[in-house]
Amino acid sequence: MSSIKEKFNQISPSEFFYSNRDLAGFSNPTRSLYTAVREFVENALDACDQKGILPDVHLTIKAVEPDKPDPKPYILTVKDNGPGIDAEHIPLAFGTVLYGSKFGLKQARGMFGLGATMAILYGQITTNKPVLVKSSSDGKIQNQFEILLDIQKNKPVIVKHTTKEISKTGLTVSICLEGDYSKAGNKIRDYVYETSLITPYASITFDDPKNQKFSHPRFVKEIPAPPTIIRPHPHGIDVERIRRMIVESQFEIPTIDDAMIEKVRKDLGLSVKKLSFTSIMDKAKKKWKTLPRQVRVVIALMSFLKMDFEKLNKIKIEDIDMPNKKLFYWDFGDSQSKSVDMDPESEYYKQLTNTVQGEPLTTFLTKRFQRIGPTTAVKFAEFAKFKPEKRMGTLTNQELVNLSDALQKFEDFMAPDSSCLAPLGAEPLEKGIKKFFNPDFVAVVQRPASAYSGFPFIIEMGIAYGGDIKSGGPHVYRYANRIPLLYDEGSDVVLKVVNDTDWGRYKVKGEPPFIIVSHICSTRIPYKTAGKENVADRQEIERELRLALQFLSRKLSSFMSKRGQAEMAKKRANLYAKYIPMIAEFCTELSGKKKEPNYKKMLQTEIESENKKAIKEENEIENN
Amino acid sequence: MKITKKEQEKKIKSRSKKADDKQKLILEILKTHGAKIYDDLDNGQFPKFSIPSRSVGNIVYDKQLRQYILGNNAALRSSRNSAQLRSFTQLMWLAFFANRLTTERKSSTLRDVYYSSQAFAVEFEDQSESDNIIVDLEAVTSRAREDFHIFPEERSSIFGDLNIEYTIPGYEGKTMNLANHPDGYSIGPSLTTAELVSTSAEIVIAIEKGGLFTRFVEEQVDKKFKSIILNTGGQAPRSTRTLLKRLHDEMKLPVICLTDGDVYGEHIAMVIKSGSANAAHLRELTVPDAKWVGVWATDIEKYKLPTIPMTESDIKRCYDLQKDPRYQDGIWKKELDVFLKLKRKAELEAFSKYGLTNITDKYLPQKLELAKSL
Repeated sequence: MSSIKEKFNQISPSEFFYSNRDLAGFSNPTRSLYTAVREFVENALDACDQKGILPDVHLTIKAVEPDKPDPKPYILTVKDNGPGIDAEHIPLAFGTVLYGSKFGLKQARGMFGLGATMAILYGQITTNKPVLVKSSSDGKIQNQFEILLDIQKNKPVIVKHTTKEISKTGLTVSICLEGDYSKAGNKIRDYVYETSLITPYASITFDDPKNQKFSHPRFVKEIPAPPTIIRPHPHGIDVERIRRMIVESQFEIPTIDDAMIEKVRKDLGLSVKKLSFTSIMDKAKKKWKTLPRQVRVVIALMSFLKMDFEKLNKIKIEDIDMPNKKLFYWDFGDSQSKSVDMDPESEYYKQLTNTVQGEPLTTFLTKRFQRIGPTTAVKFAEFAKFKPEKRMGTLTNQELVNLSDALQKFEDFMAPDSSCLAPLGAEPLEKGIKKFFNPDFVAVVQRPASAYSGFPFIIEMGIAYGGDIKSGGPHVYRYANRIPLLYDEGSDVVLKVVNDTDWGRYKVKGEPPFIIVSHICSTRIPYKTAGKENVADRQEIERELRLALQFLSRKLSSFMSKRGQAEMAKKRANLYAKYIPMIAEFCTELSGKKKEPNYKKMLQTEIESENKKAIKEENEIENN
Repeated sequence: MKITKKEQEKKIKSRSKKADDKQKLILEILKTHGAKIYDDLDNGQFPKFSIPSRSVGNIVYDKQLRQYILGNNAALRSSRNSAQLRSFTQLMWLAFFANRLTTERKSSTLRDVYYSSQAFAVEFEDQSESDNIIVDLEAVTSRAREDFHIFPEERSSIFGDLNIEYTIPGYEGKTMNLANHPDGYSIGPSLTTAELVSTSAEIVIAIEKGGLFTRFVEEQVDKKFKSIILNTGGQAPRSTRTLLKRLHDEMKLPVICLTDGDVYGEHIAMVIKSGSANAAHLRELTVPDAKWVGVWATDIEKYKLPTIPMTESDIKRCYDLQKDPRYQDGIWKKELDVFLKLKRKAELEAFSKYGLTNITDKYLPQKLELAKSL
């Protein structure tokens, strides 16, 4: 009988994702159709963003048999003008789970391109149809693939592959999946609409199954600065991540093969002719400073082995035992393992030590993290009770945990670098809001970058009042990394902050025509659920949201009071015009006079003066 | 004593002159206020006037007058203030409307006023808003609404040997004896404005309830005790209180009150005697010499009356009245304290336990006797 562990190991990632598809937003035909749209559109926008291309995204959903009742199979196609994907990568990118190009620490809509694969998987499972991919990465040849996923083996099965000539780069992905457009339609339309608000530099069109066309042309011509990939901040790190970084940072002992020997020869500037061990060493000493690390390691090994290239070619390094100062190697000629002692006083010994035991702590910190300079690194080592020169390769598990804890607790690290973030920017956001809502009042703010648990984030927020906005507000448009969040609004931190606000204090009363656009940009959005629809209330994020909202609310308040004053002046003018003549009429009869009192000039002056006040206040609103 | 026809005519003339004088006075008051507004407008200014404040803080008890009056606080109402402009206009309209009513000697009800406003495009949200403006007019002019021919719905009535002479248009000089109709005469605008000519009665018995009023008429209390019987119908309306005052002042009749034996009954008598805080802006509505003769709390045990327990709100009312300056001494305080002690109350009808006429045969004579010493 096989153990549980073995069984578990036999499940391929594809199978795992299939059995957990609820987590990824594929719980039912309605939600799945919506999630699939999201994943493909976001991939398209991400691809364009990365290459600085102004995105043109075309979304089409067509029913396979329009007359059938929902849920039924739909063909979902998303076409973009992005960089495309090289033909050789397409089968793996679309036919396996856990293949993605979005690694690295920077802001992107999706994380690893997993969602798209999930959608393909879901489509294949519900309709048994392959995914159709058309891609051109050179703008000349378009590769067309039909791919099925072998779920058990997590491998792509290419059903068909053709090429044709084309004049533009871009990617088109088409899947057939079971969906329910009659239920999901509203959300999908909202999604497309709200996406175009936060992506004003993109042109997005949507042809829906009922032959309705929704077109959102771009109204901002500049693409926001793309984010850069940066090193992690020490506060956002855990033990596992450090372990992986150490493995990456340790220099492996290079395999000494023909190619390696050729490289050493070349770097030493040696001609093809045969050279003795001593002359190689002399040459190396002279050129040491210009040699790359790999070459230095080979030279160091040779110094203990006392071999020239010819001999070196006949052995294989087995182990370098630094504590016992022994070097083990396999001699192909004698077919046995041999060893030599290493002189710890030798320069070459230090070279090997560096390589095998990894960098000293301070070097590791300054080179692999952002915001740590040599001074901070030494201060931190003292704080964490490590020697600054402690070799990373020699850390025990317990020491690793201690290091990780200390990195979280040390407070003298500077705030995370936000260059990895890609906020939309206040100006395009304001343009977007104006275009979408034609409001009487709009204000936007971009808060300075802040961080939670070592992950940098930036809050952008806009507030608008009046104009085409429907009453019953505030309506909150939530975005995270340029994705609209449409579901599960109830428990979201943005709504919490909005609901905590006493709008009466800002002179906003009743059911105002009033919207709030909130955009959280971060390398990691702290979603509450795997469905990625609501943001958890991290203290730091909540605080920034509050500050942004307060700033905007104060602006709104001053608008409202100006508008209130303008309205009051208008109201007064109207009231005077209505009631003063009545008073005149009544008091004329009451006082037994025949003629009405001479009040008309006074009334006219007052009405004009009130109207002037109203215009003055309104002008001030315009100018703000 | 025989009156000659000439003397009779002279009398009528003098009486209608009295009514005319009153009318003139009212019209003069209205004209003065109207002229001030007119002048303001004519001088190119927003008209304004001041009005005594009717807030709780400005209602004080005047021991000399033995009633609540308004203090010295006054508010300025300006037509420039957009928040006041609407009510300013409403009040101007009401003065204008009252002027017409008084000139034409037509009467109107509170509800009438509410609807009449609509003919002039002066909106009132509801009747309570128009009622409020009527009180404003009373406060500004220190005159009761009845003087402007605005009356509440009638529910009180009067019976007994009292000769009156109408002054309302179409009835001028016509006389009536109020003992002619056994159901009594309802106290409306014509009766309130009528001249009180003569009476053989020596006392006015104001009684809280219609049922007992009918019993008193049937038992000829008016004749047996030389009295005028008046049904207040619960808390006496202002026109009824005005009539009571006139019976006391003009006909020199003492007034006694007979109410249910509970805290509300006691207060009905108190309002007849010294008015209500609601009408603190008006004088001439009180009969300071009026006496409350029962049913007292102490009567409940004395006459072994069947009782019912007090409700929560009855008890609360007792505590509230204990704070009223008018309940700080004498019979008012004593009876209130006993009500609170007993926590029970008795209605006038409770005497029926001892026979339907027990109240008129036994109780009333005793109380009338007692009233002389109060």
